Amino acid sequence: MTHIVVGHGPPPETGEPGAPPFERPPGGTIVAACAALVPADRRSEWQAEWFGELAYAWSVRRNAGGPSVLARASLVMRALGAVPDAIWFRRHYGGDSMLSQDLRYALRTLVRWPGFTAVVVLTLALGIGANAAIFSVVNAVLLRPLPYANPDRLVFLFGTPTDGDSAKVGANSSYPDFADFRTRSKSFSQLAAVSVIQTTVTGKTFEPAIVPGSPVTANLFPMLGASPMLGRNFLADEDRPGAARVVIVSNDFWRQRLASNPNVVGSSLSVNGTPATIVGVMPARFAFPGTAALWYPAAEPNDPNSRGRHVYAIVGRLAPGVSMLVANREVAGIAKQLETEYPSLNAKRGARVQGMAEAMVGDVRPALLVLLGSVVLVLLIVCVNVASLFLARAAARAREVAVRTALGAGRTRLARQFLTESFVVTAIGSVLAVFVAYWGSRLLVSKAPRSIPRASEIGIDGNVLMFLLGLSVVTAVIFGVLPALQMSRAMPIASLREGGRGMRGGLARRGLRQALVVSEVALAVVLVTGASLLVKSFWKMQRVDPGFVPDRMLVVQIQLPQSRYAGYADGDRVRAFYADLYNRISARPEVQSVAVAMQHPHAGGWTSSFTIDGREPPPAGQEPESSIRPVMPGYFRAVGAKLLRGREIEESDGVGAPGVVVINEAFARLHFPNENPLGRRVLRTSWWKGMPSSFEIVGVVADERFNGPRAPADPATYFSLAQFTFNDNWLLVRTKKDAKPFVPTLRQIVWSMDRDLPLENVSTMDEILGDSIADSRFNTALLSLFAVVALLLAAIGIYGVLAYTVAQRTSEIGIRMALGAQRSSVLRLVVGNGLSLAILGVAIGAAGALVATRALEHLVFGVSTTDPSVFALVAFALTAVAATAAAVPALKASRVDPIVALRSE
Amino acid sequence: MPRTPRLTLPTAMVLMAVFRNYRYGFDISDATGLPSGTVYPVLRRLEEAGLLRSRWEAHQTARAEQRPPRRYYTITGSGAQAVRDAIDRYPTLERAFAAPSPEPRPA
Repeated sequence: MTHIVVGHGPPPETGEPGAPPFERPPGGTIVAACAALVPADRRSEWQAEWFGELAYAWSVRRNAGGPSVLARASLVMRALGAVPDAIWFRRHYGGDSMLSQDLRYALRTLVRWPGFTAVVVLTLALGIGANAAIFSVVNAVLLRPLPYANPDRLVFLFGTPTDGDSAKVGANSSYPDFADFRTRSKSFSQLAAVSVIQTTVTGKTFEPAIVPGSPVTANLFPMLGASPMLGRNFLADEDRPGAARVVIVSNDFWRQRLASNPNVVGSSLSVNGTPATIVGVMPARFAFPGTAALWYPAAEPNDPNSRGRHVYAIVGRLAPGVSMLVANREVAGIAKQLETEYPSLNAKRGARVQGMAEAMVGDVRPALLVLLGSVVLVLLIVCVNVASLFLARAAARAREVAVRTALGAGRTRLARQFLTESFVVTAIGSVLAVFVAYWGSRLLVSKAPRSIPRASEIGIDGNVLMFLLGLSVVTAVIFGVLPALQMSRAMPIASLREGGRGMRGGLARRGLRQALVVSEVALAVVLVTGASLLVKSFWKMQRVDPGFVPDRMLVVQIQLPQSRYAGYADGDRVRAFYADLYNRISARPEVQSVAVAMQHPHAGGWTSSFTIDGREPPPAGQEPESSIRPVMPGYFRAVGAKLLRGREIEESDGVGAPGVVVINEAFARLHFPNENPLGRRVLRTSWWKGMPSSFEIVGVVADERFNGPRAPADPATYFSLAQFTFNDNWLLVRTKKDAKPFVPTLRQIVWSMDRDLPLENVSTMDEILGDSIADSRFNTALLSLFAVVALLLAAIGIYGVLAYTVAQRTSEIGIRMALGAQRSSVLRLVVGNGLSLAILGVAIGAAGALVATRALEHLVFGVSTTDPSVFALVAFALTAVAATAAAVPALKASRVDPIVALRSE
Repeated sequence: MPRTPRLTLPTAMVLMAVFRNYRYGFDISDATGLPSGTVYPVLRRLEEAGLLRSRWEAHQTARAEQRPPRRYYTITGSGAQAVRDAIDRYPTLERAFAAPSPEPRPA
């Protein structure tokens, strides 16, 4: 009779089934591998059953003496059946599987420590969410391809100075140059020209407006792969001279001014005083060039001087198989030909090709990358802090871990338990992070300066979500692995014996936590240094003397259409209008002063060439340039610019009077370094009838910073507007009290003179100045925010480590005090501990910052990226913060009652 | 009492094989021609439903052959009832295992 062992459980005397003393049968490895799937409480029995069958079958086959290779193969085939069997077990007893056990245990633990969980989850949500929000901007601006057909083949063809001096050669080209590039080049399947001009639009359904209008060659839209949502593209011959006037409007324009009228195609509106037919409406997402509200065909000008007017950007599509290098070489060659053919107009004018995406975002790339870099640093600090929190908690749970280890939990099992916990909190944090990212990116878009290209494309898409997911996994691993490693090294017996404090000891453990604090401080130093540099630079930028007084000043551009005011050929009506306007506004009691000028004091404007009477004229094409800034009498007094020598432009400097000019300091410095410029004469070509060609310098004025606070003013020539008349001028009104309330009166006065003049964008000078530093303000504000967060987190980190250390050393401190140590020396001990960590961190961080702040080189103004005062201040601030953070636990330590401390032992 | 498993053809075949004294997993697989990956989950279900009972063979036996012990399955009372149901449902089943099976070794 067989001896039968009844019931479940592994058979006796076999120990680990399949393990020695029996050799593992063929296929045993498959079974052993599948065993991991089977729930632990049934695993050994399950494995024993399979091993038993395999071993028996193997012994039978061996005894039969068949070829062993076939026998093995058949056993392996049999063993494969263990896979579905193991899966069956997992499915049927999966309720008790380890993963779900781990999960449930993790959730229970997290609920048991609600404060800890909340802090960790929120920190992670903010850290990950902020990263995703910044990444959403980077994604839209730098990473996502442009929304055109085959965008990587689209290029700009830029003008570039062959001698590296960009004063005279800008990126734009003239139409004749464009036409020559188009006929001579072979590198492009298409070349198109596009420009943006402030354009006056009037129509029956809306107020007259000045909008950015874009003259384009007819092939632009097809080249980009864009077509109107309503109506049609321009026809190929609509950009020829004499073609019917047609216009395509932007989606915004259509919705805001044409009331989204679906039958708008075929109706007409007036563009710069000339009627034109609307032939199309573009889709909402089309924005090229960025701000254009309408497009009309750019006809080849028949003016011989047009080769000198560089107002077009050239856009091209590279022909198949043509590389950027080849295209660059070809356009440089054509530019060289043009230079020889038109020596006076094209001197030193080279050409180069640049990828469209790169050209469009080139300026913001460094700023965005700096922001992304800093927010990644913040996330690292977050990770370090959370890891440190987990470590602290792990220490508090030492006894629990010891008990579980003693009851047979393996190291990997424990490590996995802790990893599960970190993944669970990260998962919760990540879900919240999606919301943070969503609101964050919305906030970024609403606060972003207008100069950020492609801002309309910013949003949360698949890329951003993938980034967020990746970030979460990396985060969970970073801060989950450390405590897990620590934990799995714990020695259970020692922990139990020491009454639950067993894990405090190991130097390695304390070393790790201290290393975390040091790295946290170092990271914070890098961020705070970067932010401080930007703050200092921003402060300096704001303190730059603009060269005029911007207070209570309204600024608006008046554009008198050629069709009704003539101008240029005959400026009388234009002059009469501005004189009348000046008088009417000056007469108002609220007004302190009025100025009219072709450029306002913060507008760069454009330059033109001149020569100085009595000096050897330079070779053609190399004459010096100056900013052209005609003004009406009283301009300098009105805007508050400081007259340094001579006189201002006066009423007497009218039509027919001798030509006069006031120059700025930069002009005097460059051209009359050691001479008195007064009385010298500036010569320039007379552009229109009645305009003088020789101008006596009658005054020198301090520089207005018309190129913005970052760049010095160019040499400038302030002519009398009466002697150098333009239709479009800026009206600058300084009121006695607050300027804004005067806007309606201002409109009323202008419209009482001409009802059709657009007057939408009346701004204050303060707004214009603010705009000019908006980029810096944005970068500075964001980076400062990150820096403050980093500082706070570092302080919390230091506090946490010291508080923990103090708690662990209570009895030691008690003994010290019982042996006569003073409170002050205990205080010093703990604060000293914190400070030494902080100082080490500051030193490492400062070294890191020296390298990292190089990325800021193009973003700072008037500050070196290694500014010693900033570095010193940051080091001091961080140390002070560390000392404060250390003071709290130190005070607690100094109040330890030796009796209590010793009794608790 | 766990519910009775659905009497699919493989289930009926495995049940019938055990009824005919094919007791070990691989033997059942050989007798029915079903792969071991099908046989074993069916055995689990049948045992869970109380139609089969499993035991370990005596370790002395296994030791003597220098291998680990095998697990074998026997039919229970309700298992025998289920075999009748199976035969009702699949009349050819009885003939499939008509040949007498070997006695469980070593008897």
